[in-house]
Amino acid sequence: MESAAIEARALRKTYVTTRGVLRRTRVERIALRGVDLAIRRGELFGLLGPNGAGKTTMVKIFTTLLLPSSGSAAILGLDAVKDPWAIRKRIGFVFGGERGLYWRLSGLDNLRYFADLYRIPPQISRRRIAELLDRLGLAGRERDKVEHYSRGMKQRLHLARGLLNDPEVLFLDEPTIGLDPVGARELRLIVRELADTGTTIFLTTHYMFEADAICDRIAVIKNGSIVAEGTPSSIKGVVENQGVVEFEVVGMPADRLVGLRGLPGVSSVVVSEHDLAQVVTVQCARPADVMTQLGMVLGGLTLSKVSSREPTLEDAYVQLIGESL
Amino acid sequence: MSTLIRAAFSAFRVSMRLRVVSPYAYLNWLVFPLLFTTVGLYVLSRPGAPVSHLAYGVLGGGLIGYWTVAYLDGGNGIQDERWNGTLEQIFAVPTPLVVILFGKVTGSLLFGILSFIPTVALAYFGFHALLPHVDALRFAISLGVLSFSFFAIALTLTPLFALWRWAFQMLNGFELGVYVLCGFMFPVAIIAPWAQGIADTLAPTWAIRAIYAATTTEGAHDYFTWWLAAIALSLGYLVGAYFLYRLVEKHARMSGDLALA
Repeated sequence: MESAAIEARALRKTYVTTRGVLRRTRVERIALRGVDLAIRRGELFGLLGPNGAGKTTMVKIFTTLLLPSSGSAAILGLDAVKDPWAIRKRIGFVFGGERGLYWRLSGLDNLRYFADLYRIPPQISRRRIAELLDRLGLAGRERDKVEHYSRGMKQRLHLARGLLNDPEVLFLDEPTIGLDPVGARELRLIVRELADTGTTIFLTTHYMFEADAICDRIAVIKNGSIVAEGTPSSIKGVVENQGVVEFEVVGMPADRLVGLRGLPGVSSVVVSEHDLAQVVTVQCARPADVMTQLGMVLGGLTLSKVSSREPTLEDAYVQLIGESL
Repeated sequence: MSTLIRAAFSAFRVSMRLRVVSPYAYLNWLVFPLLFTTVGLYVLSRPGAPVSHLAYGVLGGGLIGYWTVAYLDGGNGIQDERWNGTLEQIFAVPTPLVVILFGKVTGSLLFGILSFIPTVALAYFGFHALLPHVDALRFAISLGVLSFSFFAIALTLTPLFALWRWAFQMLNGFELGVYVLCGFMFPVAIIAPWAQGIADTLAPTWAIRAIYAATTTEGAHDYFTWWLAAIALSLGYLVGAYFLYRLVEKHARMSGDLALA
């Protein structure tokens, strides 16, 4: 039986730091609490979770940058603790954001340098770099310094760097963060194409629609533990029998919010700022009932844009993470 | 093997290109050495100063510049990599960190030795200071031995910069200590006996002794012993480096300290 492309068993990671200057105290922070995960070869797997949930820690363990405190992690059947050199030749990784490139060098120089560090023979790296520049829309600008690239170009250069060694497994840690919608969409298309050609992809993201649109399977991580795992549609099943009521209001008093949360069937209430108003998203079992009771709970407040809709992956995520404000 | 050599050469080439465009690098190899040379020659070329000490004025600034660039640029380079977010990237490639730093430190040596050009030119044109008794062959060998000792120290200590951010501040002090202890601008014989004991454990002390001996006909000229002492100590540092690199690679993977956030 073929081994999984990525496998984690009871994976734990605890960071140990110190606090204080004269009286130093040891501080432990648990980032992963016994994660079990198996990702098939060729799968595009998405890991969703809020900041600090353990997504990046997991990616760093898989890419051999970090050692787990206990448990095991294997990439392509190789132990991430004991076989880092063999793994590094066969994987690629891209961390989100603009850093991670030599800004004062050209894009081409960046790629040539990393091709040498990946120990790719020059005759292969020349061809590979030309292909990647062409495929990622950087051809013609490869001799410009990276500091003159747009954010989207830098991110495509990151991806080109991650693909230099034609990796069997590619790790993408929030690759579309900070990109404009068009750039993000282009990157998602490229990622989906890569998965379709057999590359296993492990993607972490904050964007639910992104995971919904391109991932074969997703997991949701909260406080270092996986709280849900499955296809995007099966994750949405968490809120299958629920609906969502949304409305805008200006100046939502806290006591009214408590009242809203106390209505029968309401499972979560999320308030987000939108210009001067607040957008209130209510997940509930019977949206029609909740809409009729809004006037009673929020009497005196002016509501606008009241609507009811089917739940999305984001609603399922909010339900799982339990982020109610 | 050829891919490792290529990786080291690529690290060397990139480090040189980044230095050329960095204004900070010019401070270390050009501005500071010129300042040291000016002060040194002002003191040592005054009437009444021993003629045998003139060499310290002519070469001292260049030696300081060479040492600073060879040693400290490795640390600066690692700090830059951390700020750029590239430190994790170069750590996670299939090329061992020691190979990448080998290329970077070699680049530092090449850049650092340039310090002698402006300082010797200043001595000659600005102060009319000459060293008429230079033994060119022994001077060149001693400079080679000194370069090896700088290389060994830089290669050994540079990974500490990768591991601990505070190491940069601590090792700045070591840079200044070496100026004094190894006799860059004055003979080691004039420092306190206990400090001479420490100086003897530093490979550059012996190489610099040989360099200054090669500029004069006075005093002892026990080159072979001095070269051997410098090379043996440097090899000792490299043995220590082997264990240090293993420690750094393991500790970096445990702590996750290669990134800023």
